[in-house]
Amino acid sequence: MYKVKIIVVCGSGVAMAMHAAFKLREALEKEKLYVHIDGTGNNELASRIGSYDMVVSNAQVTVKTDKPVFSAIPLITGVGEKELLAQIVAKVKEIQEAKNGAK
Amino acid sequence: MDNMDNTAVDFAIDEKMILVKESIKTREEIIRKLGGLLFENGYVKDTYTQAVLNREITYPTGLPARVAGVAVPHTDTEHVIKPAIAIATLASPTTFYMMGSPDVEVKVEIIIMLAIHDAKLVIPVLRKIIFILEDDAALTKIKEAKTKSEIKQAMLDHIKSLSEKGK
Repeated sequence: MYKVKIIVVCGSGVAMAMHAAFKLREALEKEKLYVHIDGTGNNELASRIGSYDMVVSNAQVTVKTDKPVFSAIPLITGVGEKELLAQIVAKVKEIQEAKNGAK
Repeated sequence: MDNMDNTAVDFAIDEKMILVKESIKTREEIIRKLGGLLFENGYVKDTYTQAVLNREITYPTGLPARVAGVAVPHTDTEHVIKPAIAIATLASPTTFYMMGSPDVEVKVEIIIMLAIHDAKLVIPVLRKIIFILEDDAALTKIKEAKTKSEIKQAMLDHIKSLSEKGK
């Protein structure tokens, strides 16, 4: 099974994005979705984005990409979190299926 | 990303660094006051407050939680001596900008200023503090608190309840 790679972006690369990343992983594991998650600072995103399938960010993403980008804010405030997680779960499944089908 | 255990970390939450229903006019004023308290009590270097103010412009920290607007100003670890949080509630809301959306205003009533000296080390504790944004009961207690000890107690109770849930 292909492991979807998610990069979580933080303004300064410290605390907030890690918190969001932990919550995201917990939520996805509840759905039996096992993904690879890394954290990065906003300034490093441009050089790293190529290796990932999806971006979750609490900073404004200025890097141009055709990969799906989600806001991390609902994971931090809890407001709109269910809706966000439903979207991410759907996208993870979609990417997984596409990658598995391609093999 | 693999350090998910609850290793005890000495993270100061002290009434000396809590302000209740503070009257201020701008976010800069409250950031300076809280940064000053962290500095006076030996948790941050003299460069901390200015670094927080600078970072707030590029990476704003306003967060619209269900109960209230909350801001979590912080900065790079190099300005911090040992980990602590300073908390303020405001007499009337002040404008911050939203994390991730620097042109969206958030009316903030609660400021939780984070002094983080080592992100990896403090993350288990820091997460518990950030989880308060989703804890409507705890956030309401802080918002409505009339004394410093009520604010401190609400934060400690919130952290304790998370520990009991195994988070």
